[in-house]
Amino acid sequence: MQDGPSDGDSMFSDFLDDYFAECDEHLMGVRRLLLALEVSVGRAAINRTVLDELFRHFHSLKGISGMVELRAAEDLAHGMEEYLRVLRQGDATLTAEGVDTLFDGTQMLEQVIGARRSGAVSPSVDPVARRIARLVGPSATGASRAPSAADPASLSRPVPRWRCTFAPSADLVARGVRVDTVRKRLSSAGEILEAVPRVTADGAIAFEFVLAAELDDVVSAAWRADGIAIESIVDEAPPEEVPPAARESAGAAESELAPSGSVAPSHFVRVDLTRLDELMRNVGDLVISRARLTDTLSRVEQRIPAGDWRAIQENAIAIDRQLRTLREGIMRVRLVPVGEIFRRMPFVVRDLARETGKRVRLELRGQSTEIDKFLIERMMDPVLHLVRNAVSHGIETVEERLAAGKRPEGTIVLSAATAGDLVRIDISDDGRGIDPDAVVARARAAGLSVPPGTPDAATLLSLICAPGFSTRDESDRASGRGVGMSVVQSAIEGLSGSMWLETEKGTGTRFGVELPVTIAIADALIAKVGTETFAVPQGSIREVVEVPVATLLQVERNEVVPHRGAALPVLRLSRLFGLPETTRDRLHLFVVGVGGAAIGIAVDRIIGQREIVVRAIADSLVRVEGISGATDLGDGHVVLILDPAVLLRHMRERPDRIVTGRKGTA
Amino acid sequence: MMRADAVRGGDSYIVFTIAGTTYALPSGEVRHMEMIDDITRVPNAPSFIDGVVFSRGQVVPVVNLRARFGFERAAFDLRSRLIVVQTGSRLIGLVADAAREFVAIPPDLVQPPNEALAGMSGRYVEGIASMGDRLILILSLDRVLNFAEPLTVGTAE
Repeated sequence: MQDGPSDGDSMFSDFLDDYFAECDEHLMGVRRLLLALEVSVGRAAINRTVLDELFRHFHSLKGISGMVELRAAEDLAHGMEEYLRVLRQGDATLTAEGVDTLFDGTQMLEQVIGARRSGAVSPSVDPVARRIARLVGPSATGASRAPSAADPASLSRPVPRWRCTFAPSADLVARGVRVDTVRKRLSSAGEILEAVPRVTADGAIAFEFVLAAELDDVVSAAWRADGIAIESIVDEAPPEEVPPAARESAGAAESELAPSGSVAPSHFVRVDLTRLDELMRNVGDLVISRARLTDTLSRVEQRIPAGDWRAIQENAIAIDRQLRTLREGIMRVRLVPVGEIFRRMPFVVRDLARETGKRVRLELRGQSTEIDKFLIERMMDPVLHLVRNAVSHGIETVEERLAAGKRPEGTIVLSAATAGDLVRIDISDDGRGIDPDAVVARARAAGLSVPPGTPDAATLLSLICAPGFSTRDESDRASGRGVGMSVVQSAIEGLSGSMWLETEKGTGTRFGVELPVTIAIADALIAKVGTETFAVPQGSIREVVEVPVATLLQVERNEVVPHRGAALPVLRLSRLFGLPETTRDRLHLFVVGVGGAAIGIAVDRIIGQREIVVRAIADSLVRVEGISGATDLGDGHVVLILDPAVLLRHMRERPDRIVTGRKGTA
Repeated sequence: MMRADAVRGGDSYIVFTIAGTTYALPSGEVRHMEMIDDITRVPNAPSFIDGVVFSRGQVVPVVNLRARFGFERAAFDLRSRLIVVQTGSRLIGLVADAAREFVAIPPDLVQPPNEALAGMSGRYVEGIASMGDRLILILSLDRVLNFAEPLTVGTAE
């Protein structure tokens, strides 16, 4: 926003923010591509597009890390870039060790960048850097400097690419030309980079292949004769100048070939969440202004001709409706694909499977399901934990699986779907299932109370989620990392969600999680009255003032305090709620309402400001005037949310009742 | 596959004590039990309400059964339990002096309540089981939770 010369430090920190954001994007791409690369281990022909994309990501990481003078990251990225160059030139075959090194190198790169971001001490990169250097080999390293200065684009287009479209027809099939024979023919001539079925303009099916191959006229003529349309694909610009959007879509196409392809962020705009919150607050302000307008209008209604009044009412209703739409629209902007949680999981599964010597396949479904950003952040650890559990407790070793007559490779399915206002996330595995006897024995040993008989799934779930319960030795670090099941459960419940379990011994386990798609979030001031804590939505407060108790004046049955040249009636929450009076000599007042209708709601003191998740108080037993809901400030303790509008109305209508309060009823 | 909500104990009860008397609720109506931790007082709520707690992401009212049945409130101790019961989608916490056991009560041991059963809680009793030398009052959750009934003894209002 500022045009003038800005402070050098803040400019650099903005620049760093951009750097970290860009790193995130490249690292995300690298992670996705590495998984795709892994399938090519040992094969002579490595998927070219994957290599090219990886190369570009590392090349960019090297460049931008150099600009911020993060040498460790620059060197790591350079090393991996070199290895990819060697692979591309066909000077080396991709080995399992090579892929592992790339994974480890990427992890180290993340750590180095993460350390810079948090201001922590960077871990030593030397061991990983040496492993990378060994992969590249002495000859290649020596030769690498010169070509590294060259345009990497020249390396990414060594083979011309062609778009070959085949539309099957009855007479082609009669001649034995089918899509599988075409595919075979194409792959014998070069490498198929993409294969996509398309619906043509006249409703027929056509198959479009992107082929990297050297085609001569004879071959292409023969193909054309068999109904294969061929056109040359010309890159309009060298890859380095390709706009980011185009690069992203190249990555998206690739992800369809990847075994666990993730959502491609092709048309997303990065927005700082605080800006959305600001917008939300602005809408809140509008809502208040609208309420004031209604107030004012009702006072002048008598003086307005009926026809004009109707028109005003219609407009007021339209504004109401539009405000609601605007509010909902902003809530929708906060929705992000659940894939943000999922995309880390293939790594976790891969690493853990490697550590435990198991074979695990991870299937991801419904990654484009959208939930509130707030929920995404808070669901990351619980989902991570459930997935880790599935690998370390659910899936058996290869030997055990074979002995049980199962496929050696275990499958974990992570899926998300929306149902109305709820989003459901399922984590299921085809592993050994939860053994109820083992759970019961373990629970008893941990001193938990266990109902008699064979526990049902709900009981099993409550046992394994009980604090202090763990089915394995504490040394099992895989699931001990991060959080326990009790923390998983309370995190989910803290988001107004629920969890359930289905399990069958020998067959598998499924954890289901259901969450609201959006949750009501508000900024609130947290205040103390006596020993109690209350939250007050900031949107409803006009002003906060601190006054000495001595300045309060008794006027008939009301207390008032001089404020802005008028007498502001004071509502002491301590009296309304029958709580002990403050012993301090000052009070904090929340000023609500406008002009002559304003009041000050008195609390002992304000202790902070928080973003709160608003939860309804549904039960009529505890629905009381002046309390609009409840929230949890993170310790599991209920904090009641005040409803200043109701308190204001209450004060205006029945001031005498407030002063008397319920003090004598206990 | 077992579903979480599929199995509900038929004759299994949760047994708890209030002011020296033993009560029972069908275990199918009990969601879970917990130690009494931190109840947030709700100002101006009915007098037998101790406040609210969070349970499974919901705000759950806490009913003090002593107060509900017309006894004096007692301070919570290590044996005090919050029994979270469910009727429909409504979750309610009940405070009992102690609650430890699951007990299977054969239906033939359950008698209808005696007309002469004295005291407040008689109104909420659905049946009485004699198990050996002790009596267990089986509560009707609906009646315990039916707060439309006028409150008399011990509910200062």
